[in-house]
Amino acid sequence: MMNDPSGAFGGVSRRQWLRRMSVGVLGASACPWLPALAAAAQPKPGKHCVLLWMPGGPAQTDTFDMKPNHANGGEFKEAATSVPGLRFSEHLPQLAQQAEHLALIRSLSTKEGDHGRGSYLMRTGRQPGGPVRFPTLGSMVSKELGDPQSRLPNYISINPGPAVNAAAFGPGYLGPRYAPATVGGGAGQNAVPAADGFAELGVDNLTLPKNVSAEQHQKRLEMWRSLQSRFLASRSSGNSRAQNTMFRRAVRMMHDDAVAAFDLSQEPDAVREAYGRGTFGQGCLMARRLIERGAPFVEVSLGTGLGWDTHLNNFPTVKTLSAQLDAGWATLMRELADRGLLESTTILWMGEFGRTPTINGNAGRDHFPAAWTCVLAGGGIAGGQVFGRTSDDGAAVEDGKVDEGNVLATFCRAAGIDPAVEIISSIGRPFPIMEGEPIANLLA
Amino acid sequence: MKISRCYRSARRAQLGIYTLQRIGNRWRCPLFTLCILCSAFSGNIEAEDIAKTPQIESPNTETRNTVAQDTDAHVGDARSAPRAEMIARIDDILAEHWRQAKTPPSPPADDSEFLRRAYLDLTGSIPKVSRVRAFLADKHPRKRQALLDALLRSPAYATHMATLWRNIMLPAGMENGNIQGVLGVQNWLRRQFAANLRYDRLVSDLLVATGGDDAGPSLFYTALELKPEELAANTARIFLGLQIQCAQCHDHPFNHWKQHDFWGYAAFFAQLEQTQSSPGNTRLVDLESGAVTIPETATVVAPQFPDGQSPLEDEGGPRRTQLSLWMASRENHYLPPAAVNRAWKQLFGWALVEPVDDLGEHNPGSHPELLQELSSYFVQSGFDYQELLRTLANTKAYQLSSRYDGERPPPELFATMMIKSLSAEQLYDSVARATLTPRNIAAGMGNSPAFSPQRQEFVSQMQLRNWNPAEFQAGMPQVLMLLNGRTVNAASLPETSGLLKALEAPWLSEPQRVETLFLAAYARFPTDEERQRFVAYIAESEGAKSRRRARGDVFWALLTSAEFVLNH
Repeated sequence: MMNDPSGAFGGVSRRQWLRRMSVGVLGASACPWLPALAAAAQPKPGKHCVLLWMPGGPAQTDTFDMKPNHANGGEFKEAATSVPGLRFSEHLPQLAQQAEHLALIRSLSTKEGDHGRGSYLMRTGRQPGGPVRFPTLGSMVSKELGDPQSRLPNYISINPGPAVNAAAFGPGYLGPRYAPATVGGGAGQNAVPAADGFAELGVDNLTLPKNVSAEQHQKRLEMWRSLQSRFLASRSSGNSRAQNTMFRRAVRMMHDDAVAAFDLSQEPDAVREAYGRGTFGQGCLMARRLIERGAPFVEVSLGTGLGWDTHLNNFPTVKTLSAQLDAGWATLMRELADRGLLESTTILWMGEFGRTPTINGNAGRDHFPAAWTCVLAGGGIAGGQVFGRTSDDGAAVEDGKVDEGNVLATFCRAAGIDPAVEIISSIGRPFPIMEGEPIANLLA
Repeated sequence: MKISRCYRSARRAQLGIYTLQRIGNRWRCPLFTLCILCSAFSGNIEAEDIAKTPQIESPNTETRNTVAQDTDAHVGDARSAPRAEMIARIDDILAEHWRQAKTPPSPPADDSEFLRRAYLDLTGSIPKVSRVRAFLADKHPRKRQALLDALLRSPAYATHMATLWRNIMLPAGMENGNIQGVLGVQNWLRRQFAANLRYDRLVSDLLVATGGDDAGPSLFYTALELKPEELAANTARIFLGLQIQCAQCHDHPFNHWKQHDFWGYAAFFAQLEQTQSSPGNTRLVDLESGAVTIPETATVVAPQFPDGQSPLEDEGGPRRTQLSLWMASRENHYLPPAAVNRAWKQLFGWALVEPVDDLGEHNPGSHPELLQELSSYFVQSGFDYQELLRTLANTKAYQLSSRYDGERPPPELFATMMIKSLSAEQLYDSVARATLTPRNIAAGMGNSPAFSPQRQEFVSQMQLRNWNPAEFQAGMPQVLMLLNGRTVNAASLPETSGLLKALEAPWLSEPQRVETLFLAAYARFPTDEERQRFVAYIAESEGAKSRRRARGDVFWALLTSAEFVLNH
């Protein structure tokens, strides 16, 4: 539905017309002239995505691209996995049992070595610093996969880290409607709860304030509806209809069943324990609950701050983070598989860049975008394989060099989205969802 | 000793007559904390009162009956003849387009509609109840004109303009860790708008900012890391309406901009360095050397103005100074239409050329002749931005209703007032105004309520830094915050809402209370049907306590409704 159903294209240039269309609540879904766009706006039921975002940039050499026979390899040992010949860190034992679902890309080579710029590059697939504010991956994918009428938000970000570059985490030209609903991640939230118990996670403002009863809320809404209809009767414009739609959706989302999706206390302690008690583990559990209820895109970040930014004392830090990663991620995959959901859920594990294969004077590793690793898993991905190869010292890509565009396009394709589909930006210019060729070998 | 009576209470003949006493630094009647007629409406928070500039008279401290009386003096000012001519011209041109499109315009806006709109557009917040009552009761034929004059001369105007321009100039999220720098930009802009500095001077002063103890606008430079290409792209876009950044890497596909032109303009920003004498004290220093080269080549590009001219040999001084002189010169044909286009968008929600910062032959916009005439008018007025806004706001077009029977015409016809979304700041300040949030709660860092932690949190969660009034951009997190977040919740709780407390005054009838809630949120009286419905709702509750809460429920419904969260 276009928001301004004037239908009067006479005297309106194509540019103006395109721009007006992009303002609409539902974008261009009912436009018969642009079939690709119309198709893109149809929700694709049953597809889900999980982004496991690793702020700071994890060391590939200590996780998925070990160099056990080289001085750069560091102190960790390589361990066998459920896939013969595929080996990775000894500190990821549960993931090792899921290896048949994992596809490792060891030949990722990018050009941004700064946290803010690297985050923007990896999360939007675009060079930072340009005039256009591109949407972050979750905003774009959830727009394609999501049902605008859904009670759950289409894009939920759990425990988002510090926005080193707000643009990398925002909806860009799509506008705040496609911004993630954020869960937890408030200041002072410890990644691992100090005492017994689990990290607390919740959606901001999803429930009524304590002083307002459900009955009172119903009465408020009754009055609200009468005020809305009077206003809209004489002033039904794009903005007023959008306001009405969004507020009604928010009220729907406050219903018990939607709220329950975020309530981890409904899970048995043994299950909560299996995921790990910290924000990442509990976030992965919440991701499972959300996916079970149809959420198209869930993002879970690991740690507080730039946890993986191990310039100092790399090894103890990576060991601790690996334990959280292993429990949360592996349990999520297992539980999704138990429910028959893993084949429709595409998972991407990545940070903003990798880390130097060489170890610095502080037993740390520094930023390194030239040759690093990310991992795809689950739905649409041909698991149990490695793509690309780095040199023995890990300093260079020797085979199968790919960039951010290839990775993100592969991810989209695996989730059933054509990355070449164009979205009309707020400035009236169409952009493909992702630029870059999907890596065919990795697609199931 | 000031002996006066609380004229409001006297006029309303409800309280008898009270002699004003000095309480705090204001004259109030002794019932001021209780009496709705006073505490609610004259002695409480006024964004306009903050950071008051001495030479500016606040329009809000008056106890006069009409605002029109004191501004009659301004009717005959030197600009009145050309202004009247321009106003008529604007309305004629727009009407001609309506005729051609066979689109009848909306009826004129009623007083409530006009008042609320003018307050939001020119001061960034809705009017308080006493102003609404006074304005609606005012019988003066020129009261709208007088109101616009008063608003444009108010400190709130300068604050609002500073906020608008700060958001245009600075990238999103700068407040985190940069609060002093952001305050520097805000306060500097505020001073310029309060003094109504010529707009061409404002731009050229900005371009030679040096920072130092008084940070001023230097954050504009440091936020862009002093990168010549970023400064070039941003200054061209913001002040000249030129989208030249594509030419950074290649010749522009839609207009005449060549890569060489881009780097020639960028070269003006090539000789710049920042020094830091102490943390937070950044100084911008112009250097004698520094050059830009076209990427991946060794071609050094000499400074060149956007019109293709080069600085003259004898034009010495730092490169930034050369550029700032050109900016304010008559050679610069880009600046006036870009400024006019922004002013138009501020009031109408839709610019004469959209997007607002992409002007040129490739994108002539809806009314090229009008843009041209307004640009000349703006130049002849001495780049008087305030006068430009005054002129536009006095048109019949600006004062059209936003109601429209039948299919709404496309926005670029301006045949009906666009129903605009509110910026995060407008929304927060309007809730605070409607609720009578006490000033000491609103005030925060730097003694500036603009940076109170609550406001800051609200604004950052709204994520509307690229706010466009033509789009309702709020997403699910933002809407949930409006429905259940602390700002609106505090406003609708009897314990925390100044307005709800004031409504407890025992001499008020329930219909009067409902009426006041409507005036506070909507700047209009309730319809009879609304009055009955909401009075009945409150009457359903038993006991004073639950009736108090029921009033809060009514207020919540008002504050979350389209009529409140939109500017119409």
